[in-house]
Amino acid sequence: MTVGSLLQVDKLTAGFGLTPVLFDVDLELQPGELVAVIGANGAGKSTLLGALSGLVRLERGSVHFGDRRISGLRPEMIVASGLVHVPQGRRLFSTMTVQRNLLLGAYRRRDGRVQQDLQRILQYFPALADKLDRDAGTLSGGEQQMVAIGRGLMARPRLLMIDEPSLGLAPKVVDRVMEIVKTINQDGTAVLLVEQDVVLALEIANRGYVLENGRIAMSGAAADLRRDPAVRKAYLGV
Amino acid sequence: MIARERRLPRWLRRGGLPIGGLALAYLILAPLTSIDAAQQAGLPLLTDKLWFRIATTVAMFVVMASAWNIIGGLTGYASFGNVAFFGLGAYTVGVLVSSRGWPFALALVVAPLVAAVFAVLVGIPLLRLRGHYFAVATLGVGVAVGEVVNNIGPLGASTGLFLPIVRSDLLFFYLMLAAAILAVVTTWVILRTRFGYGLLAIRENEEAAAVIGVNTTFYKVAAFCIAAALTGLAGGIFAQWNSFINQENVFAITNNVQMILMAVVGGAGTVLGPVAGAVVLKLIIETLAGGGSAAVYSQIGLGVLLAICVIFIPRGVIDFFGGRSRLSLRYLRQTLRETSA
Repeated sequence: MTVGSLLQVDKLTAGFGLTPVLFDVDLELQPGELVAVIGANGAGKSTLLGALSGLVRLERGSVHFGDRRISGLRPEMIVASGLVHVPQGRRLFSTMTVQRNLLLGAYRRRDGRVQQDLQRILQYFPALADKLDRDAGTLSGGEQQMVAIGRGLMARPRLLMIDEPSLGLAPKVVDRVMEIVKTINQDGTAVLLVEQDVVLALEIANRGYVLENGRIAMSGAAADLRRDPAVRKAYLGV
Repeated sequence: MIARERRLPRWLRRGGLPIGGLALAYLILAPLTSIDAAQQAGLPLLTDKLWFRIATTVAMFVVMASAWNIIGGLTGYASFGNVAFFGLGAYTVGVLVSSRGWPFALALVVAPLVAAVFAVLVGIPLLRLRGHYFAVATLGVGVAVGEVVNNIGPLGASTGLFLPIVRSDLLFFYLMLAAAILAVVTTWVILRTRFGYGLLAIRENEEAAAVIGVNTTFYKVAAFCIAAALTGLAGGIFAQWNSFINQENVFAITNNVQMILMAVVGGAGTVLGPVAGAVVLKLIIETLAGGGSAAVYSQIGLGVLLAICVIFIPRGVIDFFGGRSRLSLRYLRQTLRETSA
């Protein structure tokens, strides 16, 4: 295990049923980093996040978070340790209000600073401030994505894993969401970002991993990946 | 608290406590007029045999509908097997009292425990299933447990079990009423705890519940277990009250259908919805039970009424009358849009 890394994934093999989706995935993330995992549809990106957050069972390999081994722990224990998953497609509690959604993000917390955190987190999403009483399901796609990210932040994560925040959003809204993700990271929360929008992901990330058919095909600094001919050909269409 | 609650209109919020208090006072005091001492003192007789039978039955269904609401309404798992808990509670009391000679009071403590343990055993595998699959699997459990019991000699097989008759309308009415109050209070308490929010989160979106840190498996099994214990308690009281139990009267799937209808029509996921549903529907059903051709047409009418309720006011009567926009067309259109896939 690399000294000082926040997340250390070794030889992770996981999937559903008989055939694994991920094979021997190695991944590592330093405190404060913004790391992107890119890859085509079906490459295993969401399964990877599911395996890290405990929603998908591991077949082999280990996951260390901070100084603890978290592979094999139940999802709620992983959340409590500070590794928080913002799943694909927002997954909001759509008939509950925005405020209730955000507060439920702090479900595992027992400290008294939840209300303060709500105010702090709303500064990232000013658009939500006057919609706290609306049912989450009635918001626009971009706003729903913001609620999903905000709900994740309410758990006070040390590492926030965001799955496809750009899904189904207008380009302008995607830019806004990515900006917010970057700001969150600059404020000290490490981010593992899974994205199909490779250009944007590599623009805001420090480093990146390319996932192909369940295996890590390439990794490196985001700037290098952006210039890499193979990446450009496969994902940027140039 | 829960999203719906703050939408209660003022008259219901203000009037709820006095109205509920009066109703409860009536239910507690009216039966006392049947005591000999009260009659000798010249008090009017407010309750007769029929009153006791219907009131006890209604209270029993309040327990069952409220208990179903905990797993079906709060957690979102529509169980068609809750009647198995009722039957197991009934048979626990039946066997302990009739074959083992236990006192009824002691047997009644064991009944909910047996139902709860059974809920854990079937809940762990079945609560992995969602939607229709869970409904069908629990329906299977409900039917299967009844059939098994029906074929076990020491349990009376198809003859059923006879318990020593205890003649006390008052006792069984008050017991059932206490169980009903317990069920309602349990729901009320659950909705004000972290556990309750976890259940609502599971109902709204189970994957999201898991990522915010709800131990979904444990919570679902716990909710199922609480529902089972309450239902088993009602079954245990019923066994001694009726002094005769068999597969048909305690494992009746129609009872399971009724408890679901009561909870859904009254307002699944609310505290008082299942109570309203149980009282109204049971009174209608009891009234229609008389027979004759008028009864047949009324039954058809009841069916149509239920269908209309489920389609147009899917969030229940409580939400409808207490809703944000009362009897407006917009309310109907909105709920229709929200609840149709």
